[in-house]
Amino acid sequence: MTTNPMHQFAVYKLGPEIKIAGIDLSFTNASLFMLLSAVSICGVLFLGTKEKKIIPDRFQLISELFYNFIAKMINDTAGSKAKPYFPFIFSLFMFVLFCNMLGMLPYSFTVTSHIIVTLIMAIFIFFAVTIIGFLKHGFGYLKLFVPSGVPVVLLPLITVIEIISYLSRPVSLSVRLFANMMAGHTMLKVFGGFVISLGVLGGWLPLGFSVALTGLEILVAFLQAYVFAILTCIYLNDALNLHH
Amino acid sequence: MANHDDFKTRLKIAKKRLKISSEDQGNNQNSSSMGSAFKLSTDLVAHVAVGTIIGFILDSWFDTKPWLIIIFFFLGSVAGILNVIKTAKQMQEKDKF
Repeated sequence: MTTNPMHQFAVYKLGPEIKIAGIDLSFTNASLFMLLSAVSICGVLFLGTKEKKIIPDRFQLISELFYNFIAKMINDTAGSKAKPYFPFIFSLFMFVLFCNMLGMLPYSFTVTSHIIVTLIMAIFIFFAVTIIGFLKHGFGYLKLFVPSGVPVVLLPLITVIEIISYLSRPVSLSVRLFANMMAGHTMLKVFGGFVISLGVLGGWLPLGFSVALTGLEILVAFLQAYVFAILTCIYLNDALNLHH
Repeated sequence: MANHDDFKTRLKIAKKRLKISSEDQGNNQNSSSMGSAFKLSTDLVAHVAVGTIIGFILDSWFDTKPWLIIIFFFLGSVAGILNVIKTAKQMQEKDKF
């Protein structure tokens, strides 16, 4: 029996080792769960859009719900100019949500509890937003670092502070998702371990706690996907509608 | 006169509907405020961390060992607190509507 609460985060190879040009590209359990979430997203959306009924069935209802949710979120936070980026934000949200939710199943692996996965997504968003900003505004995008209405004496200080604040975006975006998922799953495992070690007599209290925590974790899994997507929208809004 | 009454009842129904939908939005805001709580807490830490990392890198570039890391640690803290104030102001503006 594995009582180590960190054991669930171990990445191991499935199948043979694949090495291309010195880079380890073996198929791991992390790749399996990324693939699973991508396949289940495609499955849900395929079933949801196969028959366009007036009275929707479950899959159609849930696909329409997701679509409306993201469309409303983009419209509220980034305005109509961000409409072309809908597919990107939609797939980002769905991927993070399904990775988090698949991680809630027993014996499964949570892809988003690894910082490398979340950091890669956050860095991609960071560079994409920066490139979009420079494409839309040219060097005028640098005005983001020079807020208007600041005394000239304070300007260098404020500019440095704004640059720090811009550079900390990918860090906070990735650390938030990773830390929440990892902390939650570790806590679940620790309470699960208490149930085993306290036995039939004392195990009921931690068992109740783990039931409550599972509910909380499902909320956090959804909320983190939501926060990840809405922050992407906010960053996109900064890049598209440059104003102070 | 009947027409007038008809209009009144229709107005009442419409107002009730509006109220329900605004209550819905209140519910929605609850989850988004929890989201911004997550955002604020990590943002504060991330700003300090990024400021310190920048100070560390600049220190090893210019060989001014302890000074830039100290300065940038405080700049990072200032940036974090400013960011929290900015987000709080935005949240307050949203609440006005």
